Amino acid sequence: MSAIKSVFSDSKSAFIPYISLGDPNYDLCVDWADALIRGGADILELGIPFSDPVADGPVIQKAFKRALANPFSMDTILETTEKIHSLHPHIPLVYLTYFNPIFHYGFEKFAEKAKIAGIQGMIIPDLPYDTPETDELFKSLKRRGVDLIHLVTPATPLNRMKAIRDFASGFIYYVTSYGVTGERKSISSDLEDRIKTTKEVFSLPVSAGFGISAPDQAKEISGYADGIIIGSAVQRIIEENGSNPTLCRRKLEEYAQSISGSLRGKNR
Amino acid sequence: MAKERSFTEKEGYFGDFGGRYSPEILTEALIELEETYNKLRKDKKFQKDLEFYRRNYIGRPSPLTYAEKLTKAWGGAKIWLKREDLNHTGAHKINNTIGQALIAKAMGKRRIIAETGAGQHGVATATVGALFEFETAIFMGEEDLRRQKLNAIRMQMLGAKVIGVSSGTATLKDATSEAMRDWALNVSNTHYIVGSVIGPHPFPTIVRDFQKVVGEESKKQFKKENDKLPDAVVACVGGGSNAMGMYYAFLNDKKVKLYGVEAGGRGTSPGEHSATMLFGKTGFLHGTKTLVIQDDGGQVVPAHSVSAGLDYPGVGPEHAHLHSTGRVKYETVSDQGALDAFMEVCRVEGIIPALETAHAFRFAKDLAKELGKKKDILICLSGRGDKDVAEVARLVGLSQGDLI
Repeated sequence: MSAIKSVFSDSKSAFIPYISLGDPNYDLCVDWADALIRGGADILELGIPFSDPVADGPVIQKAFKRALANPFSMDTILETTEKIHSLHPHIPLVYLTYFNPIFHYGFEKFAEKAKIAGIQGMIIPDLPYDTPETDELFKSLKRRGVDLIHLVTPATPLNRMKAIRDFASGFIYYVTSYGVTGERKSISSDLEDRIKTTKEVFSLPVSAGFGISAPDQAKEISGYADGIIIGSAVQRIIEENGSNPTLCRRKLEEYAQSISGSLRGKNR
Repeated sequence: MAKERSFTEKEGYFGDFGGRYSPEILTEALIELEETYNKLRKDKKFQKDLEFYRRNYIGRPSPLTYAEKLTKAWGGAKIWLKREDLNHTGAHKINNTIGQALIAKAMGKRRIIAETGAGQHGVATATVGALFEFETAIFMGEEDLRRQKLNAIRMQMLGAKVIGVSSGTATLKDATSEAMRDWALNVSNTHYIVGSVIGPHPFPTIVRDFQKVVGEESKKQFKKENDKLPDAVVACVGGGSNAMGMYYAFLNDKKVKLYGVEAGGRGTSPGEHSATMLFGKTGFLHGTKTLVIQDDGGQVVPAHSVSAGLDYPGVGPEHAHLHSTGRVKYETVSDQGALDAFMEVCRVEGIIPALETAHAFRFAKDLAKELGKKKDILICLSGRGDKDVAEVARLVGLSQGDLI
């Protein structure tokens, strides 16, 4: 069983927060990661900043902009990842990245170095399963035991889900709503059914993301999803408090505790 | 003779470039678009409707003008102009928006959106929005809103909502990203009218197909007039829709030299130009694999051009392919060169060209000398420059006193 999959064998839904690496700098984001893990994160998603994040809403766009104000290099990303991994080696780390920076770095080299840095999965929102590069990357990651985590959306029909199945491992990132990343007040009423179908098709854990921010939302969705992914709400805490590292750390840890606590004891 | 066209319809690739690299939420809409278009392109009623609007609304065929005065002034090859500036709305962009509006109607979409740089595509989209009664939203960078105020006003008068984009560099690249985000949110009732031969498959093919009328008409008109083909064809390239439309009919005519002119801007450093063919590397931007101006970390570098329509850090994937095969030669012209050509064409030929096209004129001036008097150069005059007059007047230092 992969390290990611083993997280989902627990009786509660996994809490998967997200941070953008480099925001506001490469040292402090290690602190944010540490705070979220101490607060109860089960898996941590690390965003690699990209200049043109078309699948992201304003909060993460701004985070990337702040991150890219620092000199960007993939080697710095990998070193930062390694620091986070060495602090909490038992917590699986997953990259969320747009394809261009890793294509540019060379994805065989990237896959190798990411694995060494402690990465156990990758989510690439602009790399659909049906491209030649996915085929190549999937093989490269599979050789190293790194999962390629695919997104499934309300617009993904059953036949496409079945086709994605051959390239998916770790867990499925279920996009709860149309649009881009960002906090939303209401959750679609048929989400439970859609997640149920997705679980049946893939035989993999299904984590829900896009739009989730509050503990009560997380608790509700955890009734049927194997994991809860929260990006923009976490990133907003960093946006609002990043200039005061002590306060920001504390807020992130408290937020992680509140979400993680709401997920405890759920029977799926 | 082997065909130059390497487009594999099934996969949407042009050689190594193209494809569909977009967020999963958009994939089904792109597949629906591809399937609808594949049916419509063979549908007689659709072709008849398209022809109707081309003739009676756009005003096609656009004329081919022999530019006698420019020919004389430049002292070399004969200069011929394909007059896309004389289309309704003033540019080639309307060829594509009419076609895509008909597709959107066939798909039952009620809302259309678009990105725009110089505003010509925005105006053309707002126009079809009014004509076919779509709810219309146009995304435009704040910097471009400043440079192209006239077009922003035209869009609003035509009933479109103009949404200023302040993220990133606040130009075309960011307007495109924002339009993609809107489409992801409203994909069930909205069609995104991509304005150039860019974006995920099938957009580069669809836009090229709606623009290829430019080259097809030119070829016919030139042959009729001269009983031969032109020796060289020149077009400006940002995303590359007027150029692709112009080249397509000539791709298999190997004796016709094809030139694309990109914005050399104000220098060769990153951020100073939009010369994708010269400085770009293979990458992934806005859903397609193409040449992209990027830094050592794979981050897209903001592009610059005096012309809002050319400052895009990528290029259509079919252009990237034609560059790699060498079929089309891509060159650059600086901001200053374009401004000089703009003024020269105004005063010599009595035509105010779009600043985008002024790049093509400046290159053609040198080419005319190089080729000599026995040759013919065809320039795609992609649009008129009304939208640019205030910005050019500011840049060349024309004060109100000079104008009186």
